[in-house]
Amino acid sequence: MNHLTEEQLIEHYYEESPQPAHIVQHLRECNRCAETYAALRSDLDAIEPIAAPARDAGHGAQVWRSIRDFVPTYQQKQQRLSQRFSSLKGLSFATACSLLIAVAFLAGRQWENYQRPPQIRTAANNPIRQPIVLVFLGDHLGRSERFLVALRHGDSGESTALVKAEAQDLLSANRLYRESAINSGDPAFAAALDRLERVLVEVANEPDDASPARLAELQKELNTDGLLFEVRVLRSHVQDEQEEQQPAAVRTLGVLI
Amino acid sequence: MEENEHSIIRAVLSGNKEAYGTLVVRHSRAIFRVAFRITGDEADAEDVVQEAFLIGYQKLQSFESRAKFSTWIYRIAVNCALNMKNKRKPEAAYQIADDADATQHQVQVADTAPNPERLLLSREIEALHAGAMQKLTATERTAFVLRHMEDCSTEEIAATLRIAPNAAKQAVFRAVQKLRRDLAPLKVNA
Repeated sequence: MNHLTEEQLIEHYYEESPQPAHIVQHLRECNRCAETYAALRSDLDAIEPIAAPARDAGHGAQVWRSIRDFVPTYQQKQQRLSQRFSSLKGLSFATACSLLIAVAFLAGRQWENYQRPPQIRTAANNPIRQPIVLVFLGDHLGRSERFLVALRHGDSGESTALVKAEAQDLLSANRLYRESAINSGDPAFAAALDRLERVLVEVANEPDDASPARLAELQKELNTDGLLFEVRVLRSHVQDEQEEQQPAAVRTLGVLI
Repeated sequence: MEENEHSIIRAVLSGNKEAYGTLVVRHSRAIFRVAFRITGDEADAEDVVQEAFLIGYQKLQSFESRAKFSTWIYRIAVNCALNMKNKRKPEAAYQIADDADATQHQVQVADTAPNPERLLLSREIEALHAGAMQKLTATERTAFVLRHMEDCSTEEIAATLRIAPNAAKQAVFRAVQKLRRDLAPLKVNA
């Protein structure tokens, strides 16, 4: 008879065992495991929740008073939109270009769908990306790949501030590409960009003084190795798509001429 | 309640800054409790509460309407507390003894209760528990607090700490193992 491991017993104590009936049955039949479990339960039962010092009903108001002068007032939506537009100036030139292209791409697709007869629209299951978009998308994925590599080698590579700034820079463009992938009916691509976005959000939201060790820890926690591989695969697909489209365009031109 | 909170958030985002105060009042004590359990220090816990609500305000635009504000701000607070804990060096654990001995990290406690022996024992147990908790790494302590004291599931711990579920489970296991080892003397004396 295989005895239960301590991990299985701890899982069972917290009612998270995947096979509770099996554990209960085993504990009935095996005295040794039953004794081990009883000791574990006794130890854990003895650890009482840490009692926090009492806070009166005015605590929340006090906290709010202490922070209210440090938070700005959010502006109305219309103003926010104009602010966002003006904040584009602050973005790097490459990101701003990516954003504009992505917006143009989305608008183009919408217009194309609007113009196209319904039977053709429903048949468009495999979206074809425009060559110029592929260039920017390829660039975005390349930057993301470099970012993930920098994150992986956080201990010895770029400074934390640079990695964080790059994450912030990539984030807005990534959102647009993800939206674009969803709208153009490419769920696999959208899902991959969604996973990338989560990593970007986490890193972008790290405190300014986060240590390289913290980034390394974050990288391990988020398991970005798998994502790095995924981004590499996506980038190679985008490159293939680019290469495929180039001769196709030439051929089409040839036929038309 | 949730819908109400969502309308409060919409109000804040539309320029009604004061509405955020309602959310702070509603959740500050729960946030303080978990912050104290993770940091083990009253002043640090207060700092965490302020920091969490500040960050919450700054990121309010990214708050998704399908989420619960309480869960969202709770997660921010846990991460703030974890960061705070990571910044602090582990403190020396002091034990209560009959004779004070600085080299052994032992102190004497003033006799203020009607039943001094029982109180002393109880404080010694408390000190041992606190010392054992202090020896855990920040992640282990946080994961254990969330699992054992806040009744969070492994999935919730993983989502809160932004780690894989298996990593969250392992953190709880390691914490339990270390605590049992450090609290074993209590069983001998019992």
